[in-house]
Amino acid sequence: MKNTFRGGVHPAGHKELTRESPLRLFDPKGEMVFPLQQHIGKPAKPIVKKNDPVLVGQRIAEADGFVSAHVYSSCSGTVKAIEKRRTVTGLMQDCIVIDNDGAFTPAADFTRRESAEALTGDEIIQRVQDAGIVGLGGAGFPTHVKLKPKHPDQIRYLIVNGAECEPYLTCNDQLMRQYAPEIIEGTELVLRLLPGAEAVVAIENNKPEAIAAMKKAAEGHARITVLPMVTKYPQGGERSLIYAIAGVNFPITQLPADVGCLVDNVGTLYAIQRAVLYREPLFTHCFTLTGEAAANPGNFIVRDGTSFAELVEASGGLKVNVRKAMVGGPMMGLTIGSLDAPIQKQNNGLTLLAEDPVEKAEKVATSCLHCGRCSAVCPAGLVPQLMAEAAELGNLERYEKKLYGLECIQCGSCTYICPARRPLTQTFKQAKAEIMAARKREGGGQK
Amino acid sequence: MNTGYNLSSAPHDRTRLTTSHIMGLVLLSLLPATVVGVIVNGWYALAIILLSVGTAVLSEWVFNLICKKPATIGDGSAALTGLLLALSLSPSVPLYIPVLGAAFAIIVAKCCFGGLGKNFINPALAGRCFLLISFGKAMSTFAVDGVSSATPLAEMAAGRAVNVTSMFLGTSNAVIGSSVLALMVGGLFLWCMDVIHGQICFSVLGGFTVFMALFGGQGLDPKFLLAHLCGGGVVMGAFFMATDYVTSPVSKLGQLVYGLVIGVLGGLFRLKGSTADSFSYSIIVANLLTPFIDTYVVPKPFAYRKTANKQAVPKKSGLIPKPVIALTVITVVAGVALSGVFSMTKETIEQQELEAARASFRVVCPEAETFAESEEANRALEELGGGVYGSIYGRVKINEAYIGKDAAGSTVGYVVSVTSSDGFDGTITLALGLNAEGTVNGISFTELHETAGMGMRANEEGFKGQFRIRDVYPFKLTKAGEADDPDEIDAISGASVTSNAVINAVNAGLDFYQSVMKGGN
Repeated sequence: MKNTFRGGVHPAGHKELTRESPLRLFDPKGEMVFPLQQHIGKPAKPIVKKNDPVLVGQRIAEADGFVSAHVYSSCSGTVKAIEKRRTVTGLMQDCIVIDNDGAFTPAADFTRRESAEALTGDEIIQRVQDAGIVGLGGAGFPTHVKLKPKHPDQIRYLIVNGAECEPYLTCNDQLMRQYAPEIIEGTELVLRLLPGAEAVVAIENNKPEAIAAMKKAAEGHARITVLPMVTKYPQGGERSLIYAIAGVNFPITQLPADVGCLVDNVGTLYAIQRAVLYREPLFTHCFTLTGEAAANPGNFIVRDGTSFAELVEASGGLKVNVRKAMVGGPMMGLTIGSLDAPIQKQNNGLTLLAEDPVEKAEKVATSCLHCGRCSAVCPAGLVPQLMAEAAELGNLERYEKKLYGLECIQCGSCTYICPARRPLTQTFKQAKAEIMAARKREGGGQK
Repeated sequence: MNTGYNLSSAPHDRTRLTTSHIMGLVLLSLLPATVVGVIVNGWYALAIILLSVGTAVLSEWVFNLICKKPATIGDGSAALTGLLLALSLSPSVPLYIPVLGAAFAIIVAKCCFGGLGKNFINPALAGRCFLLISFGKAMSTFAVDGVSSATPLAEMAAGRAVNVTSMFLGTSNAVIGSSVLALMVGGLFLWCMDVIHGQICFSVLGGFTVFMALFGGQGLDPKFLLAHLCGGGVVMGAFFMATDYVTSPVSKLGQLVYGLVIGVLGGLFRLKGSTADSFSYSIIVANLLTPFIDTYVVPKPFAYRKTANKQAVPKKSGLIPKPVIALTVITVVAGVALSGVFSMTKETIEQQELEAARASFRVVCPEAETFAESEEANRALEELGGGVYGSIYGRVKINEAYIGKDAAGSTVGYVVSVTSSDGFDGTITLALGLNAEGTVNGISFTELHETAGMGMRANEEGFKGQFRIRDVYPFKLTKAGEADDPDEIDAISGASVTSNAVINAVNAGLDFYQSVMKGGN
């Protein structure tokens, strides 16, 4: 087991803005908006109607099929509308809008702990599925699907991802400091599903307090080890962790389970613990409000559906005008044009910047120098400069076959490091979309 | 709340290092070589450098202006091309040479192909090759203070030994940026800063060394290999020309192949080619191969490499930090070059110096066919034991003295070789010639490294000509332009130290003649 991967970059961390800010629950007052699609897979189907009363933790939309997830209300009140609202994706999407009565009356007692001793594996997975848990690392893949690999006994490593390599974000750091025993409990629950696996809690070494807390909580748990990792982006990427811990690089066409690994974020494992032991569905999660433009950056436990704007306002507003707002951090985050959007299950932060590094970068852009820094940092071992050249020339054949362009995990390291400021990752997203579209067309033609 | 924030596709952050930072680092790394070049070659070299850099920047600015393209001179690449070109020129080229070369490099080799990143050959080398082909004579003239002489490479080609130490330090008769030590300091700095790829520089040097060892005809003779490595722009080429990003391959394997091509071709051209500029041409040939290498030599992603699924061991190369390696390399190479080579070549150099001394004997005693040893002189020299001769002359030593004889064996003159350690910059050795009657025939310098344009003017006719056919003993020095009396010599203006040392050496030689040799035989 090593403690890092090949390649990678060292973006400025900016974690000092919030790293010592403990998680506190934020109770919003305004209306709450719940998009039906907060996960990878099919959108959920609403099971409430306009004017229906709802309670905290009440299911308001139901998963449509296996690869989908339920949606729960995080407030009490009445359903105001089911309509299209702008979400973090920038698109107008179907949402359930709830008039928040501010009372936060729970639908059940989520503080009563149950024993999980007698639960079978399937029952644990069922509780996770019932709770609507999705991967809280950012992707939002339904967790119950992940917990059901084809061959559970062939999983060698359960990797508990506490790396938090994304700059600015510190909510997982605080979650580990404050809820280490709960995360370890969640880990033990998942280990029950994977008889041949050992769990490795991977934490970047810039979080010594979290490492200490997790080590302490893991004492006496024979199947769980805590592994400090090198602080380097994208250390918390699924593939980076698998390479570091299992020593395996695998093609993009394979899943972690195919190489005997399962990776879950610490936030997800905490949610699993809540779901299995307290029957609490997923309607809150940890969240970092940060960036130089935020007046009072800090860590929160936010309720799903809270408006970004309300959270910012309630925390003290803005110090200076915002130039760029990112849901997540600067490496993988989504930019939003306005704060008027709801926080979704898998959103773990909002970074508000007074200056836009991209805007500045575009001013000093030059032609590609062929300096090779992009290939030196690529965690997949690709040659981004040649890929960009092929993509720009429209030579998608070379892009895909000779340069393995589809292996790109779009971590953004090459774009970050490029001294000529070429939009490499962006070019690759486009090229991948074109290749996928062409495949679809060809596939359609055969039918 | 404000709306309409900037949107972008991830990532939204960038590292600090930009293209112009990289160019700045390379310019910085060339500073030692530039400074040494100017110190050794004088202000004229600085003029060449400034003209070359200025022309390069101006050409790019004008080209962009005329073609209505955004200004790109701010990225620093034009200045770098100009500097690289200047450092690869002889310090005695006419001033139109750097202007034409830099303009060609920037306009034809770079801008016409689309500017930075689009050129297919190294612009500085393109400029240099353009000059070599178009102005061969001016380019290959290496004159120091008006006296042209052969470069170390030409000496090597002629089978003569060279002073590797002076090549290493940059004081030999070569291009402005010829100080191997300064170039290595800069090159290894770039390597430490991860600006240049070690695969390229070390495969160039390695390929060249192996080729020369195999086919150079002298095997692993370190004297021979080091002389070749230190001369003819090998180090400049390996660290600064071959490593140009734009014209070198991107993959590690490709870079290795590219570097070996340069090293081997450089060796081949040097051994069998007609020009000393083997590295300029070999790098350009490899530049042309780069697109081909990049098309076919592409590394597979980690997931498709054979070793991918083995548990990899921690990186070994990280064990010794690069700066430590670089410093060690510099120390070792410098040590070997300065001490080892010095002792290895000492004998040869002494032999050559003797020959040079003999040649100068003929200059000052032209009637002599042979030079015979003088018993009196040898005895006197033995008594002196290499010590100072007559303290009134300062730190002066008499090296040797001979009697000039014609074909019939009768005495036609005398020569005395004298060294003064009181020069402005080390020692001055001269041969003093007298005719059979004891009249001074003239002097000739066999060793003179005074300040260019100042003390070096001792070797000009205006000064040393004053010693021709003078029946004087001893000579007196006066201020420049004030010599009236028959025993007076005009000093070199602004170089009184050198003038004094020369006068003392001459007078010591005369003293030696008068007291030891006169009347003998």
